[in-house]
Amino acid sequence: MSTPASTPSPASWGNCPGCGAERAADAAFCEECGHDFGGETLTPAGAAPVGANGESQTRHAPVRAQTAAEGEESPLDLGWTGPVNRGATPMIAPPSATVCAQCGTGNYLDGYCDNCGAKAPDPRDHFAEEPAAWVGGVCDIGRRHKRNEDAMALLGSSRPLAQAVLVVCDGVSNTTDSHIASLAAARAARETLDDPVPRGMGLPDAVIGTITNRLGAAVVAARAAVVATTSSPDTPAPPSCTFVAALIDEGLAVVGNVGDSRAYWLPDAPDSQPRQLSADDSFAAEQIREGMPRKDAETGPNAHAITRWLGIDSPEDLTPHTASVQLTEDGWLMLCSDGLWNYCSDAVALRDLVAGTVAGLGPAGLHPPTLAQALVDFANAQGGIDNITVALARVGPTSGQPPQATAPQAAATPPEATPPEATEPAATQPAAATEPAPAAYPPSEPTTAAGAPAPAPTSSTAADREDSPDGTVHD
Amino acid sequence: MAQFTTEVFQNEFLPDGGTDVHAIVRVTCSGAGKAGVGGGTSGGEAAEILIVDTSGSMGANGIMQGRYAATVALTEITDGTWFAIIAGNHVGTLVYPAYGATQMVRMDARTRQEAIASIQQFRADGGTAMGTWLTKAKEVFLTVPHVVQRHAILLTDGANEHETPDQLTWAIQGATGFFQCDVRGLGDRWQIDEARRIASALLGTVDLIPSPERMADEFEKLIRASMARGVASVDLRVWAPQGAQVLFVKQVAPNLEDITAKRSQVNPLTAAFPTGAWADETRDYHVAVRLPAKSIGQEQLASRVQLVVNNEVQAQALVKATWSNDEALTTRIDDQVARYTGQAELAAAIQDGLAAKAAGDDAGATRKLGRAVQIATATGDEEMTSRLKKVVEIDNAETGTVRLRKSVEKLDEMALDTASTKTRRIKK
Repeated sequence: MSTPASTPSPASWGNCPGCGAERAADAAFCEECGHDFGGETLTPAGAAPVGANGESQTRHAPVRAQTAAEGEESPLDLGWTGPVNRGATPMIAPPSATVCAQCGTGNYLDGYCDNCGAKAPDPRDHFAEEPAAWVGGVCDIGRRHKRNEDAMALLGSSRPLAQAVLVVCDGVSNTTDSHIASLAAARAARETLDDPVPRGMGLPDAVIGTITNRLGAAVVAARAAVVATTSSPDTPAPPSCTFVAALIDEGLAVVGNVGDSRAYWLPDAPDSQPRQLSADDSFAAEQIREGMPRKDAETGPNAHAITRWLGIDSPEDLTPHTASVQLTEDGWLMLCSDGLWNYCSDAVALRDLVAGTVAGLGPAGLHPPTLAQALVDFANAQGGIDNITVALARVGPTSGQPPQATAPQAAATPPEATPPEATEPAATQPAAATEPAPAAYPPSEPTTAAGAPAPAPTSSTAADREDSPDGTVHD
Repeated sequence: MAQFTTEVFQNEFLPDGGTDVHAIVRVTCSGAGKAGVGGGTSGGEAAEILIVDTSGSMGANGIMQGRYAATVALTEITDGTWFAIIAGNHVGTLVYPAYGATQMVRMDARTRQEAIASIQQFRADGGTAMGTWLTKAKEVFLTVPHVVQRHAILLTDGANEHETPDQLTWAIQGATGFFQCDVRGLGDRWQIDEARRIASALLGTVDLIPSPERMADEFEKLIRASMARGVASVDLRVWAPQGAQVLFVKQVAPNLEDITAKRSQVNPLTAAFPTGAWADETRDYHVAVRLPAKSIGQEQLASRVQLVVNNEVQAQALVKATWSNDEALTTRIDDQVARYTGQAELAAAIQDGLAAKAAGDDAGATRKLGRAVQIATATGDEEMTSRLKKVVEIDNAETGTVRLRKSVEKLDEMALDTASTKTRRIKK
């Protein structure tokens, strides 16, 4: 399992993260415990997520969205970018690794280390996804909670900005089995959003409208998935979760949310305005609308009481708040749970945090999962009081995966400690340092292994520079 | 094949900086089979020796009842079991099989009749040197070295006056790990602490037989219990993580026995504690482990408690620790841990109180027995309260205010002492 196999052997499919049983090739569920492999394409550590013959080893069948007879091109297919990779990064701590992460001496024996007694990590407690070089995220249990009730589901096309789906759901912590519900919701939403957007006449407003409707449908599907996990309608605290999703289609991002998980647009350039795209359904947000200062409202006694959620007992109106942004300048589209924004809520502060963190990571700073991990580390260093999820789509140059097996525990820097002036050069000019990444880290670059070389990371957005510099908010 | 199952009772939540984890591990054995008939899990055979006190103090009635009790015991020993009878006074004498035999014999109709005839030789004569009895028993067990399950019943009616305490200690050491022995004391002239030393080392029990007429019932019970133990030898293994310390391991039901000192090291992190032979039964163990404190939210394993037969793990219980800043979680004491901790304290208070009384320390005795009354009352232990009432006058049970009774029946005092280690299992 140490080198990329030219022909994947059955063993290279690894083991079930749920029960450890061997996973059969192409299995969507574990034959032993029924664990849903879902989008987790369990790529062996160090192996490319695609075979040497260029076939994508994801659950995607060959191109399936056809609106015209095969061989003919329909105008409605123009937006179709081909199969999209699902999360191609293995779960953290591959199942084959049984050496204890805490003491490094013992082995996990029965869920615990046989030397120091440390609990073996539950793959649900921490996982990363990297469906494409420009899309990645980390979902982490944090420091204080016993369970990771956050969930994340990502998709990304090989070609930057062509198509991506990012979904983050935060299970409501005082309800039953919210960790199951949130993951089901996130995956159901990803499924719903995983289709080419018909271009129609190609008018921007029409496309936004189509995507907005799609987000509404994703909320409905996500709620249905949550309800399906509810054992009985009489459950006193039925499972429920928040919802925030982004669908990126040819440089246009539309986000929708229910609850208090957020989406931000964080441009690199210090003189561009970063924005929170989502609108919280929370008691705190209502107080802010009534004039209370954001900091007071978000740290108040009921700051985390949400007014809308997905669940069997959810409010009737679940129309998501939506907003869109044209991804024309370099920056980050971030979706996150309150586990992160608890420690950095303001969009400007968050942009500065991201810029400082990118600078601190050096050459790996523009690798989405590495940055997501560094931001999770930041939240944990601040106390990790809640589960933390950070999902990122990079607009602009990207870095390859750092050579280390695991993301470095970057010394994340709080925003106030990192003046924008100081980080500006590093944050805005990393391209030169990171450009050779695809060649340097072939195993981690889906784009290079896919057989069809992707455009250079910088080129795809360059053409769109003339477009409107800012997005429009719909609500 | 015997099956072992485990259950853990504990509050795994520790406060910030907390280090000590307490758990009750309930072990249940089923399908143990019978001892010594090859059908048991041990696969081997069993041997049984009756050691009957025939010292002068037994008197005519004691000897007559001893003969009867031994006869009853012989009828309870399963055919096929290897057996022998030893008469004990200032020396241990093999009574059956007769002089000249080269090894123990198997029980059958003929040998049973021979043995019953041979015990008519019991005569009340001589002193008491229990160490010689144990040494003789070991010698006799060694005549059938292939037998893996060895058990003896030792009946005494007096103090160990005809050898030095060291001699008894050496004899006990020689027998430890070689055979199990239940000790029964007849009347009020034997020493509970001597009997406890023997039984504790030899994984047996101690009890009082108040009068000779009760001997037969007790022997019958003991042999039946021994014959039901189809699993010859079981070890309790306790693993604790690197840097942790096993504070103690106690059997807490059906009777209290601190087995901490019986540890032998299996590997640097695992200790084994012998628990002897098992029947279809349930025993509870209190395991306490001290861990290096971890940060809030961390969870780890505090101990693996395993039942091991012939070096094979039959069952395992996991004792956990989770550090939390939620006081509602960390301040709760598990019911089972609390009750058994209380019963252990009660036993210690009774034994210490009676020892103080015997040493003439009336103030100490009053204080300790008062505490015992207080615990017994608080836990609703009416049986122990009524036993205590025979030794002390209770002025206020709740505060533990008591006065020592002027005249106390020695038997009542001894009954209180021997009963102190019998625990009551509580329901979940």
